[in-house]
Amino acid sequence: MKSWLTDKQNSLLKKLTIFIVLFGMVFGGCGTVDLKVRKNLDHPNIHPNTVAILPFTLAGPTPEGVPVNRLFRECFFNYFSYLGYVDVPLETIDHKLHAAGMKKYKEVLGFSSQKLRDILAVDAVIKGQVLETNNFTGGIHAETSIKAKIEMIDLRTGETLWETEHKESIYSGILSPTVVEIIQDQMDNVKVHQALYKTAEMFSIGIMMKIPDPAEVWQKEIRLPEIKSIETNLKPNQKLKPKDRIYVNLKGDAGLKGSFGIGSWKSNIPLREITPGMYSGSYIVQESDEISSALIVGTLKNAQGLTGKKFYKHGMAFIEKSSLN
Amino acid sequence: MKNNQYIKFLQRLVAACMVLSLSACATDLQTRVAGHLTALSKNQTVAILPVETSDPGQNEMAKMFRQGLYANLKQSEFHLLERYVIDGLLKQNKLTNPSTLLTINPMQFGEILGVDAIVFSRINKVERSYFVLHSSIELSVSVQMVDTRSGEILWRAEQTEQDFSGIGKIPTGITTALLAPIQFVTNKFNLSRMTSNMVDKLTVLVKHPNEADSENQFEKPVIAKNATNELKKIEELQQLKAEWQQAMILDGKAGLSDSSENLESNKESLVEITTKTENNSVKKNIMQARSLVQKRKPVESEMPLLFPKKEAKIPINLSQAKTIEPIAVIESKETPLIARSHVGTSPKQLASPKTQLYTIQVGAYKTKAHARKLERSLKSKGYDVFITRNGKNIYRVQVDRFASKEDAIKLAHRIQIKEKLKNFVTRFSGV
Repeated sequence: MKSWLTDKQNSLLKKLTIFIVLFGMVFGGCGTVDLKVRKNLDHPNIHPNTVAILPFTLAGPTPEGVPVNRLFRECFFNYFSYLGYVDVPLETIDHKLHAAGMKKYKEVLGFSSQKLRDILAVDAVIKGQVLETNNFTGGIHAETSIKAKIEMIDLRTGETLWETEHKESIYSGILSPTVVEIIQDQMDNVKVHQALYKTAEMFSIGIMMKIPDPAEVWQKEIRLPEIKSIETNLKPNQKLKPKDRIYVNLKGDAGLKGSFGIGSWKSNIPLREITPGMYSGSYIVQESDEISSALIVGTLKNAQGLTGKKFYKHGMAFIEKSSLN
Repeated sequence: MKNNQYIKFLQRLVAACMVLSLSACATDLQTRVAGHLTALSKNQTVAILPVETSDPGQNEMAKMFRQGLYANLKQSEFHLLERYVIDGLLKQNKLTNPSTLLTINPMQFGEILGVDAIVFSRINKVERSYFVLHSSIELSVSVQMVDTRSGEILWRAEQTEQDFSGIGKIPTGITTALLAPIQFVTNKFNLSRMTSNMVDKLTVLVKHPNEADSENQFEKPVIAKNATNELKKIEELQQLKAEWQQAMILDGKAGLSDSSENLESNKESLVEITTKTENNSVKKNIMQARSLVQKRKPVESEMPLLFPKKEAKIPINLSQAKTIEPIAVIESKETPLIARSHVGTSPKQLASPKTQLYTIQVGAYKTKAHARKLERSLKSKGYDVFITRNGKNIYRVQVDRFASKEDAIKLAHRIQIKEKLKNFVTRFSGV
C-alpha cells in the first residue's frame, strides 16, 4: 500500500475519507423510517377500512416524566387521520377498552385479535410501543429522541400488515453546521415536552410517507345520504317574530338521522322520520334569537357519520327585532 | 491600536451576523378569525380542500402542508371530514383542479361535501436559493376558512416563513461553511421541518379561537365574495317573488299567484306561518331584505383568486335561483310615454347577442294555460304580448322589447297604473 502512495497522497486520502464521513453525517440527517409491509394490500377487499390506534405502551422512564406514549399516540393519530382509513376517535377506543376491563396500557398487548375485534368492532388495530426516549442538553450537544415499534394488525386474519422499529432523533452539536443553530436547538431542547412532541411529529411525518394509503380504493365507494327535496313554510322576504314556527319537511334516504339548521345561527334542530324517507320538524322562534337572512339547511346523517345537506332557497329566515330594524 | 481596530471589526461582524440571522430566520403571520368560529363544535364538520399551487414544483409542499393542517386542526373543536371522502366526492363532481375551488360558492360545497365549513389554502411561494456560502428557503401560504351555511369567512391567514444557512449563522468550520448551505436547500427534512413549524404557528388561533385578541378578530362579519353573489341571486329571486305576490294581491288575482309561487315539484303541504303578511308591510319587508344584503359587503381581506379567469365548471346544477336579473321599476311621476324603437321586428331577430334588449315581465306561471289567459287579456287591450319559457319550465308573460331601458321603464309604469298589474323590467332573452 505504502509503495503505491506517497505520503502526500496518503494524507490527502485520509482527509478525503474524513470529508466523506462528515459529508455523509451532515447529509444523512435523521434516518428515514424503515417500514416493512408484510402483506400486499393492493386488493380492495384486503384493505382494512376501520382502524383503531390502541394505547401506546412505555418501556422505561421518560425525561421529566412526560407521558411520551400518550403524547406520541395523539400525535400519530392526528397524522394518521390524513390517510384513507376510518379512524376511531381515541376517546372512544379508551372508553371501550376500559369498559372491557383494561386497567393498564400494557394489558392491551396481550389481547388476542378476536378479543380486540369483539371489543372495538374494527378491521385493524395499530399497536405502538415506545421503547426508549431521551432528552439531553449539555455543552454544545442537544438531543431529543424517541425509539418506538409500531405495527398494524389485521383483526380479521390476525396478520401483521406492516411494522417498523425506528429511532427518531432531533439533535444538535458538533455536526450542526452553524453556531446559531446550535444555540437555537439547545434553547428549544430544554423545553422537554415541546421537544418530545416535535420529535414525535417528525417520526409521524416520516412513517406516514411509508404506510400504505387505501384512499384511492374507498374514493369510488363514497356516497353521501341523498336529500331529494326540502320544503319550509318561509315566504320570500317574510319577517319572523318570536313564537312564529318554522316548519321543515325533508324527503330523502330512509332510516337516517335528520336535522335542520337556520344558517349558521341554529343547527341540529331534530327532524322526525314520519314515514320512510320523509322527515319533518319545526322550530319556534325565541325572543333571544338573532337571525338575519339565514337559509334553512336540511341534513341527513348516516351511521358512518357522513352527512348530506340541502339548502332551501325560496325563502330566508330573518327575525324582526328592534335591534335589527 | 491595530488590535483595537481588529476587535472592533470582529464585534461589528458578529453584530451584523446576529442581525442577519435574526432578520432572515423570520415569520410573518397575519391571521384573523371571526367570532362565529367559536360556535363550531364537534357537531360541525369542516373539510380541508386540496391545496392550490402556483407551480407544479410545489406539489410536494402542498401535500405536506395539507397533512400538517389535518394533524393540527384535529386538535380543534370541530370535526374534520376525512381527506379521502373529500377527494372522492370532488372527483365524483369533476372538481379535480384545486385552482378552481375558490371560484365555487361555499354553499355548493356544503351540498357537495355535506360540511359546515371549508378550508381553502394556497402555496404562494416555495423558493430555494443557493449562493455558495449562503442558502435560504422561503415559504408563503394563504388560508381561508368559510362557513358554507352563511358564506362568512371564519378564518383568514397569510404566512411567510424564511430560514437560511450560511455565514450569517456563523459556521462551525470552513467545511460546514461550504456544505451547510447545500445541505440546507437539498435536504428534504428541512422543508418538512419548516412546513411543520409553519402550520403549528398558523393554526394556533383556530385551535384556540377564544385566545384571539381584538387585533386578530374581524371587526364585523365578512362574507366571501362568491357567497355574496349567490346570496344576492337568491334574494333577488325572493324579491321578484315578493313583488309578484304583492302585485297579485293588489290585482285581486290570488288564484294566479298561487300557481306562480309553486315553482318546485314535490311540494308537501305545510302549515302556514302564524304571522300573516299584511299587504302594506310587504314593501317594508322588501326594503329590509335589500338593506340586509347591502350590509354584507365583502372586504379586501378575502383570499384573492390566483388566476382570476379560471372558473370551475360544475356538472351538477345546485343553484335553484339563477339567470333572472330583474331591474326594479323606478317610481316616476312623469307622464308615461310608449316608446317603440323596434316596431316590426320579430323577437327572434331582436335577440341578437350584440344588442341588449329590455322587456317588461308581467307574469310567470308554471301552467301554460294561466300564462295564455294573461296574454289574451293584455293582447285584447293592444299590448304586444308574448310568452317565453325559461330553463325551469316557467312560462313568463312579457310585454314588448326595447333598446332603451328608460323606455321600458316608462311603459312598465304605465302598465302598472293603467292595468293595475305589477311588473318589472328585465333583459330580453329571446323567445
